[in-house]
Amino acid sequence: MNVLRFELKKAFQSPVVSILIMLFLFFNFWLIYKHAGIREELKVTNQLVERFGYKIDSEMSAKLQDYYQSKLQKMNKLTNEKFGKTYERAGDFFAEYEHRNKELSEEELHVITETAIVESYYELIQKIDQTYRHLDLSQNAKMDIKGYGLSGKTAEVTREYYIKLKNRLDELIEAGEHKNLFFIGYVYHMHSFLFKDLMRQMIFEVMILVVLITGHVTTYEFQNQTCLTVYASKRGRKLMLDKLVANLFASLCICAVILGATLLVYFLVFDYSGLWGIPISSFFNSEFSFPYISWWKLPFGIYLSCVLVVFIICQLFFTVITYSIAVWIKNNYLVYAVFAILFGFCVLIPGIIPKNLTAIFWTRYTPFSLILNPHLWFIGWNVFTPKKYEWTTTVIWTCLLAIATVVTFLKFNKEQID
Amino acid sequence: MLVVNHVSKSYGKFEALKDINLEFSNGVYGLLAPNGAGKTTLIKMLTTLIFPSSGEILYNGTNIARLGEKYRELLGYLPQDFGYYKNYSPRQFLSYLGALKGMDKKVVNKRMDELLKLVALEDVATKKMKKFSGGMIQRVGIAQAMLNDPKILILDEPTAGLDPKERVRFRNLLSELARDRIVILSTHIVSDVESIANEIIMIKDKQVLYKGSIDEICKKIAGMVYETSIPYEQANMFKKEVFSLSEKQEDGLLKIRFISKKTPEPTWTAVKPNLEDVFLYVYRDDIQESGAS
Repeated sequence: MNVLRFELKKAFQSPVVSILIMLFLFFNFWLIYKHAGIREELKVTNQLVERFGYKIDSEMSAKLQDYYQSKLQKMNKLTNEKFGKTYERAGDFFAEYEHRNKELSEEELHVITETAIVESYYELIQKIDQTYRHLDLSQNAKMDIKGYGLSGKTAEVTREYYIKLKNRLDELIEAGEHKNLFFIGYVYHMHSFLFKDLMRQMIFEVMILVVLITGHVTTYEFQNQTCLTVYASKRGRKLMLDKLVANLFASLCICAVILGATLLVYFLVFDYSGLWGIPISSFFNSEFSFPYISWWKLPFGIYLSCVLVVFIICQLFFTVITYSIAVWIKNNYLVYAVFAILFGFCVLIPGIIPKNLTAIFWTRYTPFSLILNPHLWFIGWNVFTPKKYEWTTTVIWTCLLAIATVVTFLKFNKEQID
Repeated sequence: MLVVNHVSKSYGKFEALKDINLEFSNGVYGLLAPNGAGKTTLIKMLTTLIFPSSGEILYNGTNIARLGEKYRELLGYLPQDFGYYKNYSPRQFLSYLGALKGMDKKVVNKRMDELLKLVALEDVATKKMKKFSGGMIQRVGIAQAMLNDPKILILDEPTAGLDPKERVRFRNLLSELARDRIVILSTHIVSDVESIANEIIMIKDKQVLYKGSIDEICKKIAGMVYETSIPYEQANMFKKEVFSLSEKQEDGLLKIRFISKKTPEPTWTAVKPNLEDVFLYVYRDDIQESGAS
């Protein structure tokens, strides 16, 4: 008979888990709903991609210009009929929009909005080369050094970091990775919304569930005083191995439910159908004066997949960390407290280390620090987001937790069960 | 055969058991001692829950720690504080333990039906255990211990919470089971083992004091147990000279059963010692201490 099935039952029988899953999904859907007002505007991006492709070159730019002009003419015809006025730019209409919105039908307003969006794309395309020409990463290095108060070796590391990022930027420009259509980051902030607001929220939600379940399942026999009966059975202490597998599987299930349901709703609400192949380093994805520069050429679909892999790996790490604590402590409430303290400790430590010590960099190689900025995974943003940061953290912690698990098993095998 | 070979157990500086040597073959063994004497420690070592500080426990010549699963699959164990999952029914709980005991699902289902009937829980087999009385929980514990038809059945205070009728039924069941297996029954209640144990093991001062049949153990105080009837006013004086085992009122006098090493007086009637007499005499200090506390 399958012991794993019984262990999994313990994981999911708690009403707290079911209630939290429903509550968290509600939060996620609510967050999506709050942002859903722009979904119609985002469809224009897909229409443009469908019509011209997403690769920006002179031919595409010319076609887009023609398209924009025809749209502007159509809009001016409409505004002339309605208000006896034409505009040089669609954007100018919206300066007066507040006064005239009631006089337009939904369909008429849609024509003007669509024109304004196409206009934004057209105008922004003209600024791409200029924007990237003016990027001076040595200034970024200086700002990081000043802003974070770095000195000595850490300042040197920062300068080296930006040299590497500059190389990558040059490579990116050379390959034209930035010249691709995407949702306009300055306006819609879709990267931040998906990978910062929503993904980070999900990371914490799943982490809470994973820690709760793992602490509960691992200490279950000790909490219910069935440890004597259970660990004297044939399976004996090997049950702890079953519990580890059950905890990992339960964590994957939680990831699947939270991520699956939330992302399904997200992609039903926001149409990315034509954008999966567009590099995340696209100029249009930029939300600030400094663009997102991924360390490798990562199309949106691949980038999302990588983020999901790191997301799931982090949750598996939290499972193993909680499990190891639980085998030693055997009281689920204490386990939760110790995990919270460990989390706080790992997040705070880099902040209290003197700024001239390189420890400020390597103390961030923890899953706890990693999960704080999922929108910057695989992206060169500042000196604290180095190339391979995610994979290095993953490899280091895989080794550390493998050792911790072996030590935990050895300890439990020799433990007196009273 | 299960052999306990020079086993000692210490917790830091505290020595719980010292140089224990025992042999178990098929039959019922009554592990008799007051609470705190080390019975549960010995049992936990026999069930591999804790490990000896020195010495070894062998099953058919091999250390049980090395046998691991092969040893534990022969084991049925009812702990003193039997824990259960309050939201499980007896069936669910037994299914889980059946899985842990490495049993086939069909075998578990068949065995569950038999055992739940045997412990008179078949009517509540699918009810959640949170509403069960202490006696019902104890019967679930007995059922789980016997689920895998163990070759070694270890029961720590198994009759706690059982009513007199259930106790009798349980004792009869154990007698029957012990024909082809080792049954180790730990208790501080003499009547639990008196009628069924082939051998009694008494532990005192961290060591095995006696191990033998009830008759052999009772011989230790043969010729020292008497009964007499005395007026109440002489009782206190009399009890200072002898060790009182039991007292009862009879025909306006105090009928007292006692142990004395002195030359018997004409009014004393020599009686055959029983296991309870030995228990009370051997553990007189422990009993007085626990009574005083």
